Amino acid sequence: MLRTGQRLLLTAGLILAAAAALTAAGAPLRVNGSTTVNPVVAEASDLLRAERGLTIQVDTQGGSSGGMAALGEGRAEVAMVSRPLNPEDQTHYPKAHFVATRIGLDGVALVVSADVWKGGVRSLTKAQVRGLYEGKVKNWKEVGGPDRRVVFFNKEAGRGTWEVFAHWLYGDPKAAPLVTLPEVGSNEEGRSKVSATPGSISQLSAAWADGKRIFAVGIRQDDGRVLLPTPAAILNGTYPLSRPLMMVTDGPPQGAAKILIDLLMSPRGQALVKKNGYEPAAVGEHAK
Amino acid sequence: MRNTGRRRLELTRVASLGFTALAALVFLGMLVLFGVESLPVWRHLGLGYVTGTRWFFRVHEFGILPMVYGTLAVSAVALLVAVPLGVGTAFFTAEVLPRRARRTVKAAVELLAGVPSVIYGLLGVLLLRDFVVKLLAHWDPLSGDTLLTGGLLLAVMIVPTVMTLADDALSGVPADHRMAARALGLTRAETALQVAARQALPGLVSAALLGLGRALGETIAVFLVIGRQDNQWPERLLSVQPLANAGQTLTTKLGGSETFIAYGDPLHWGAIMGLGLVLFVVVTAVSLAGASLVTWGGDRA
Amino acid sequence: MRKGLDRAFTVCAAACAAVVCALVLGIAGAIVWRGMAVLDWRFVSRLASGGGGAGGVLYEILGTVILVVTALGVCAPLAVGVALAEAVYLDGHENRRTRRWLFAGLYAANSIPSVLLGIAGLIVFSRWLGWGKSWLAGGILLGLMILPTVSVALIERLRSLPRKYVEAATGLGLSRSQVIWSVLLPQSLGGLVSGLLLGLARAAGETAPILFAAAVFSGAGLPAGVRDSPVVALPYHIFVLAQDSLDPAVQDHLWGAAAVLLALVLALSLLALPVRLRIHEEAKSA
Repeated sequence: MLRTGQRLLLTAGLILAAAAALTAAGAPLRVNGSTTVNPVVAEASDLLRAERGLTIQVDTQGGSSGGMAALGEGRAEVAMVSRPLNPEDQTHYPKAHFVATRIGLDGVALVVSADVWKGGVRSLTKAQVRGLYEGKVKNWKEVGGPDRRVVFFNKEAGRGTWEVFAHWLYGDPKAAPLVTLPEVGSNEEGRSKVSATPGSISQLSAAWADGKRIFAVGIRQDDGRVLLPTPAAILNGTYPLSRPLMMVTDGPPQGAAKILIDLLMSPRGQALVKKNGYEPAAVGEHAK
Repeated sequence: MRNTGRRRLELTRVASLGFTALAALVFLGMLVLFGVESLPVWRHLGLGYVTGTRWFFRVHEFGILPMVYGTLAVSAVALLVAVPLGVGTAFFTAEVLPRRARRTVKAAVELLAGVPSVIYGLLGVLLLRDFVVKLLAHWDPLSGDTLLTGGLLLAVMIVPTVMTLADDALSGVPADHRMAARALGLTRAETALQVAARQALPGLVSAALLGLGRALGETIAVFLVIGRQDNQWPERLLSVQPLANAGQTLTTKLGGSETFIAYGDPLHWGAIMGLGLVLFVVVTAVSLAGASLVTWGGDRA
Repeated sequence: MRKGLDRAFTVCAAACAAVVCALVLGIAGAIVWRGMAVLDWRFVSRLASGGGGAGGVLYEILGTVILVVTALGVCAPLAVGVALAEAVYLDGHENRRTRRWLFAGLYAANSIPSVLLGIAGLIVFSRWLGWGKSWLAGGILLGLMILPTVSVALIERLRSLPRKYVEAATGLGLSRSQVIWSVLLPQSLGGLVSGLLLGLARAAGETAPILFAAAVFSGAGLPAGVRDSPVVALPYHIFVLAQDSLDPAVQDHLWGAAAVLLALVLALSLLALPVRLRIHEEAKSA
């Protein structure tokens, strides 16, 4: 059929022309980063999409570091970060000028599986945590728990949660010893692994410890006081692993990014923050 | 009429050969791409990259040997389970079953081949992990995320491939050879094993090799059940204990989050691309070996 | 003794086949049983909600369909081109070495791990072309992924066509190009269609090629352009959720999504069946 070929060529041509025309369509807002900040931003994005027709794409494949990388390389307009910014972020991308807006507060908790909690481990000292992390403490009975092997699921090194943890334990993430542990990426995965594995412990956002299958242990000080990641302790900073939830932009927020961040800082947005178990940012405060 | 024909001839021929050249360029281009993007790590670490056993990206230590071990270990487990199972099933369908039943069983197995790898991964996460913990109780695994879990999941995934190709190979043996053997008094087993299998041996080996190629390259399903723990270089290579630990393969590292954060760091990115290059070369070599054993009717003059 | 061996052989082979069949039934059964509890019209017609782990999978289904249709558009012309090159233009004894290279190339290309294709797409489409995440990149990558299998299917069909058709057409004075478009391609359309359907069934379920350069987990509806226009797709949706399977409600959602994906893949494969049966019948009668 001579006309089949002509028909095919015509169709292909039309498709290509349509694709070329569509290429010039408007640019969406791209948000990238931490799985801790994600639930709040996802809900806020749904609101904006429904109310104002904004296109907001949210991606969490690389965690906080992935978000900063995307922002620095121009692949995203906003990075979601669950740790304070450090000088390296800037030196890594010298041409960018990062502006961080704190939309909430959270704490990094050490969460354990139900059998460990019920077996008596309610708090750990810093030294004990170090022992667990470095593999020197191999059985829970060494720290007052059941006779069970310790399974430490380590957060990937690029995650904000891990950097906050390493900063607390060793003063500087770079000073953290190189350990070999099974890794978890997102908060979701950490929650899943700890709840499904007896004898396990991991670093996780405190708001994600549901107290039914995973439990947040307190940090025991030298004087015997136990610091739990309660809302009050996180807000006033007495819990040592508090951390800010940040939306980072290159330069001050503009356009759709500004709309999103303004929404998150508004009472409605802060209500979303609380709804997801985090603490609100102090009103009117923008951290750098 | 003839003029139109000659012009049309050129168009179709040019388009056809052009498309073929384009396709070839794309696939060759991928190889070049991985080679070029991984240059920093070859320049910086050279062979140490391939022989190193430590991977700590924060301090720029990149050694891929544990991941090579992981890839080989899960593939070995997959082959050890899938090849006997697949070839055994192929013997059943090709030598024992009557023609119609054979088609039904083959169709059912082909359905299995069509199940997407992410669904296998889901089944592995929800069902296989608990089973493996019980299975490996003697070796005291930390959790259900082990190299063995990955290997068993891969086995289930490549059984259809191995079985279908093995069945094709066995069925390709002409019926007269079988009839002659039976006429000489050989039992069905002897006919199958000594006549059909011997003739079909290249095809059977090819089936195993192509199954291996698929196992080496599988990412998603293994990613979900392997634990993704780096630096798992076993003290004793050929023991069972390492299989009860979590591990990392070339593919699971590539599918993980480091690929998303490495781009800004040339050495880190080079190390990730190097994984891709190594994987590419190994899988292509295995598949070409498997292909060379399959005779194809493309040489008809 | 020999009889014992014969019986043992049959028993072993039957046992293997039984295990494999049990696997098929078990896997299909698990998905159908768990998925059926969740599947209803609401599930396939609502949007995902609650962070993606609840609600329906409407956009995920649409995203998968968009990717599959794009892959079809990319793969079909390329496969026809490659198949014609092998079976027609490079036919003959003098070209056998080229054909052998082509064959080896197709085999090698078919075995390329899909994750490498995905990363190559990340580099070429996301970075070099600046598309960010794009449905078109995903469709192109999927089309390239299935190109070898579809090409081989069409080549085998072309080569199996009875020579009498070509001889008759040439005898009537048709040029080579006219023979291709009037005789060869229409006659082998069944092979192309069935090869495409099977290839697309595979493409619909693939995660790795779209993981880097095409799919996001949430926040994408129908794409509006090429740049920065990702889609949500069933395989990636399942992949992300599978890593968070603590919540029983999420598990139900997962089984439902898996059932939908499997149904889609199965539908594509089964569509190819009547075509393949017809080809089989023709081959037998020819």
